[in-house]
Amino acid sequence: MDNSVMPLAMVRPGEQVTLVAVNAGRGLTRRLADMGLYPGVSVRVVQSHPGPFLLQLGASKLALGHGIAHKILVKAM
Amino acid sequence: MAKEITIALTGNPNSGKTTVFNNLTGGRQHVGNWPGVTVEKKEGTCRYQDYTINVVDLPGVYSLTAHSLDEVVARNFIVEGKPNLVVQIIDASNLERNLYLTIQLLELGANLVLALNMSDVAESRGHQIDIKQLSSLLGLPVVRMVASRNDGTKELLKEVVRAAEGQAEGRRFRVHYGAEVEEEIAKLEDLISKDEELRRKYSPRWLAIKLLEEDEDVIRAIKGHG
Amino acid sequence: MDREEILRAKDESLAHLRTIYGDDAETVLAERRYGFISGLLKETLSKPAVEKLTTSDKIDKILLHRWLGIPIFLALLYGVFQFTFTLSAPLMDWINAGFGWLGEQALAIGGWGGSLLGDGIIGGVGTVLAFIPPIFLLFMALAVLEDCGYLARAAFIMDRLMHRVGLHGRSFVPMMLGFGCNVPAVMATRTIENPKDRLTTILINPFMTCGGRLPIYILFAAAFFAAYQALVVFSFYAIGIVIAITMAFVFRKWLLRGPSGHFVMELPPYRLPTIKGTLIHTWERGRVFLIRAGTIIFAVVVLIWLLNYTGALEPIGRAFAPIFSPAGFGQWQAAVALTFGFLAKEVVIGSFGTLFGVEQEALGTTIGAQLGWTPLIAYAFMAFCLLYVPCIATIAMIKRETASWKWPLFAMGYTTVLAWIVATLIYQIGRLFAG
Repeated sequence: MDNSVMPLAMVRPGEQVTLVAVNAGRGLTRRLADMGLYPGVSVRVVQSHPGPFLLQLGASKLALGHGIAHKILVKAM
Repeated sequence: MAKEITIALTGNPNSGKTTVFNNLTGGRQHVGNWPGVTVEKKEGTCRYQDYTINVVDLPGVYSLTAHSLDEVVARNFIVEGKPNLVVQIIDASNLERNLYLTIQLLELGANLVLALNMSDVAESRGHQIDIKQLSSLLGLPVVRMVASRNDGTKELLKEVVRAAEGQAEGRRFRVHYGAEVEEEIAKLEDLISKDEELRRKYSPRWLAIKLLEEDEDVIRAIKGHG
Repeated sequence: MDREEILRAKDESLAHLRTIYGDDAETVLAERRYGFISGLLKETLSKPAVEKLTTSDKIDKILLHRWLGIPIFLALLYGVFQFTFTLSAPLMDWINAGFGWLGEQALAIGGWGGSLLGDGIIGGVGTVLAFIPPIFLLFMALAVLEDCGYLARAAFIMDRLMHRVGLHGRSFVPMMLGFGCNVPAVMATRTIENPKDRLTTILINPFMTCGGRLPIYILFAAAFFAAYQALVVFSFYAIGIVIAITMAFVFRKWLLRGPSGHFVMELPPYRLPTIKGTLIHTWERGRVFLIRAGTIIFAVVVLIWLLNYTGALEPIGRAFAPIFSPAGFGQWQAAVALTFGFLAKEVVIGSFGTLFGVEQEALGTTIGAQLGWTPLIAYAFMAFCLLYVPCIATIAMIKRETASWKWPLFAMGYTTVLAWIVATLIYQIGRLFAG
């Protein structure tokens, strides 16, 4: 059983996870990749529900609006 | 007699591009509009040695896809406006993401100079960047900069002039996309090179790559003619 | 045809690559780029595995706090207005005194020339120019908020609320900019990718009280609500936000339906704006105001003076006045001010200035006395000014951004109707209480 893969939406603040996949249309996937969110990167969740999600990606902080965290699959580090 | 060159400033949003622009041009700037669209166009001038440098501030972008008006404006200017040079302002703390844009600029065929801005912040975060190595591997001039203190402006201008006079390091890297992809790129490049008009205007490799990305703007441009 | 061949070859390549990789070529390309970058950085960059907590992070713990976020934002906004008014009051007095003196000298020349100069130009334009201090200070405050990185936080904080009405946080930044001037605010909507989101944001932007309306509020708030002036002015900003959000909901629900765009935004680290940068930024926006004062306002004020001098103004005013009676300000002077105010909001004050020929300090009370206004009427009038018709520059910008006349005309129409309804309601309901 692999390190369970789950949606980013279920990750609690303070946890560090690795991005596994993005389950979204081309536009959003591209947009996320442009901003540095692509499979393999590690992010830390700073704020989660009720949202928007706030992520720490390296030295940058990203805000993800409604519904996006559900489309990003991650696994615990 | 003064020589005149045009440089375009580009970079991610929040990379300090505006501060660099202000450092270079001070009060000698004016705001207009890019022809045909309502995106603001900021231009200014700067004098260095015996050069008059026109600085065009392109919109801050994360990438050069056809997704937003900003990106299309930025890349159209580089392709059609043909500035002598493109200076990319890089946020040194976010090197990884900023380099994503660098690759696309190089593929676009830009004559590039990099400014590693906000280096002080990066260093205080414990980031250590080997600028010499970076410059050598990329085949590009790289300048360390702290625009908020006006550090590095002179060095940047020096490199800009050097690059404009054609003295910059020769070798430019290119990303190898893997055998299968490169094969398809080569096939498309071949066809593209046969088209006089396309070959003259764009870098065939860039066009091929954009086609594989199904870039709407490129596809439209190709359909538009012929 | 050469081109078709290229496009066909592209499709073949894409299909081929899809079978090999099971994915779009685009994804593979992105992966390879990042892979290349990764290799490059291994040799050139060394950084700690986990980024340490920075000052920005600590500040955000408070400013982006789940519950404290919005109250802090509102408090900051209120603070900005207080700062603007308190600092600008003495400056305005000084400018008014100067123009008052100039006006007297001009009138002393006598004849229609003296009147044109004294009442018309100095009375009209001078009144508006007196508002340079608050307007520039407001622009400066907005520039500081933008440059230090707080505006992005405001967008983050408001995203949840924006989402409820069908927009997202990115729509909030143009709305904040609208507090300065609606023209660059409409331009700022270009960062919104979804066309319906963008159109909605453009259509509600005029309700974010722009700098041009500020003179109206300051003037009447000071004259009719003395002790509560800051609160009254702040109330209009608040009402503007509420109505903007309500209309956004209405539009997204009925007129411009569809899924809303994705909110992905970077929050830059906080930084101290440079003085030079702030001044340049402030000047970029402020000079637009000055140019308008020099051109549109000047022209309109002269026109009004001319019409007044030749006696043609009053009939025009009287023709429109009845429309405003239910709202309490059905006097021809008010009708004139509002009609010409369509061109530029500052003209509303400028027109009054020309018509009554007094300096700004006394203008408010003069209007009250001569037109028989109560504080209620003044409030209804200000509410009307808040909502009706965007100025001509904004209309032009809307036309450019939407590439048609349909939306600017619609904006003009619906805002005016809404303004009339709200002003009338305020007056009529208020009368029930006041007796």
